Amino acid sequence: MTSNEILDMLYGTLRTTGIYNFQWNIVIMWGVGCLFIYLAIAKKYEPLLLLPIGFGIFIVNFPLVPLMGYSRDHAQLLQIFYHYGLEWEVIPCIIFLGLGAMTDFGPLIANPKTLLIGAGAQLGVFITFTGTVLVGFTLKEAASVSIIGGADGPTTIYLTQHLAPQLLGPNALAAYSYMAMVPLIQPPIIRLMTNIKERKIRMHQLRSVSRQEKILFPMVTVGIIALLVPSVIPLMGMFMLGNLMRESGVVERLTESAQGSLMNIMTIFLGISVGATMHADNFLSWKPLFIFSLGLVDFAVCTIGGIMTVKIMNLFLKNKINPIIGAAGVSAVPMAARVSQTVGMQYDKTNYLLMHAVGPNLAGVIGSAAAAGMFIAMFD
Amino acid sequence: MKNLMILLLAFYFCLPLSVGAEDFLGAPVAPQGKEIIKTDSRLEIKTDMSHDEAVSFYKKALKNLKDIKFREWKEVTYIEDDGNRDWHSITVSKVDKEGTTITIVKDNWTWIIGTLVLRYIGVFVVLMVLFLGLLISGRIISAIVKKMETKKEEN
Repeated sequence: MTSNEILDMLYGTLRTTGIYNFQWNIVIMWGVGCLFIYLAIAKKYEPLLLLPIGFGIFIVNFPLVPLMGYSRDHAQLLQIFYHYGLEWEVIPCIIFLGLGAMTDFGPLIANPKTLLIGAGAQLGVFITFTGTVLVGFTLKEAASVSIIGGADGPTTIYLTQHLAPQLLGPNALAAYSYMAMVPLIQPPIIRLMTNIKERKIRMHQLRSVSRQEKILFPMVTVGIIALLVPSVIPLMGMFMLGNLMRESGVVERLTESAQGSLMNIMTIFLGISVGATMHADNFLSWKPLFIFSLGLVDFAVCTIGGIMTVKIMNLFLKNKINPIIGAAGVSAVPMAARVSQTVGMQYDKTNYLLMHAVGPNLAGVIGSAAAAGMFIAMFD
Repeated sequence: MKNLMILLLAFYFCLPLSVGAEDFLGAPVAPQGKEIIKTDSRLEIKTDMSHDEAVSFYKKALKNLKDIKFREWKEVTYIEDDGNRDWHSITVSKVDKEGTTITIVKDNWTWIIGTLVLRYIGVFVVLMVLFLGLLISGRIISAIVKKMETKKEEN
């Protein structure tokens, strides 16, 4: 073997390494990925999602890694997860199946007028849409960005994949990051929008809800949503199937699987697929950074919308609703309900708002799905 | 020198072609049209083309563009831009007795705000219907459950 051949061989080997193909912008993405892993582990911010997302961002931002492309006419590992899980919109729907299986809709059924709070809390979604269009996003991109304020991860992913898949990574990351920061974002807004007298309003105890009502609820809900907003039935249908399984009490094995192992498996695939879409070439532009800053405004306005809705309702109600629970209309379940409880107890230690806040919290899930359905109908 | 002259002449003759077919706010304007109304935000023309010919023209002219939607309504074909182009819609009439009326409208905030308000109200409508559904079904089920419990107690 001649020296030239040896050098050629060494050079050829070097060219197949990541070091040879190194780009400086991927270092920024390493930092982004590690930041989310740190937030998940050290600060425990939505660790179930931010950990795999952060790792997905980190691992996909190395040169020549065969993860998000095609080789020899077949998709690579993360491309398969992304294609079958997210492009086909399967994962968000199965996650909603698990969520439905772990949700007790009793507080919502006992006080169905809190559904209107869930609707009011979508205010930020529609206001943010306007702002996003002003800045230069297309209408479809604006719709996918503004749904972040609904604080519902699967709905955000579902709508974004439908309308603007190029924004999937930043939208999902913004949605889950702000959901984790609900205890930081909401209390100052609640204090700003309410006075001390309103914060001390005591609500009547919720009536008991029979098992038959809980079984009928998913059927009624899915029927109405299917007739009015059919485009979100894949999400809401699975949500209600999960709930029906739970409330029927006759398929405990299926309910356990749906809320346990199935949900966990889907969460792993979801996190790593979302993270894998965030390569430096796609992520490092003004749009993702703008999405992050706008997401905060979106969240805040949604919180304000929920509180204002309660205040308007109180003008017509004899038994007033504590406006603090309006903030729970943002569908970060159950974090937003817990925040309402915490803030309420700061002003009256014996005022237990948690069960009252769960109603609008769950209504927010339905409200944000309805808002997503409205946007899909706008473009279909 | 000779080559330069040929190049300049070629550029001079090609310039109208390179500028492209007539357009209004970036939207292609169907050829052989007679202007009826033209303002900064609206262009209405009447053309001798049939409705199908006009729609084919626009399908061809817009085929490489993203976020364009063709909708078939009863009296018009409505071509909508969902991107961020200057024009919002092109309407191709179906009901004209002679020729076809084509209207190009500028993107405007009235449409955006209007559709957003309607959709926000739509969310309320959906949840209001659900509220009424739960209220009615809740009362019916509660009454039935109460009756059954009363019967059980009597027995």
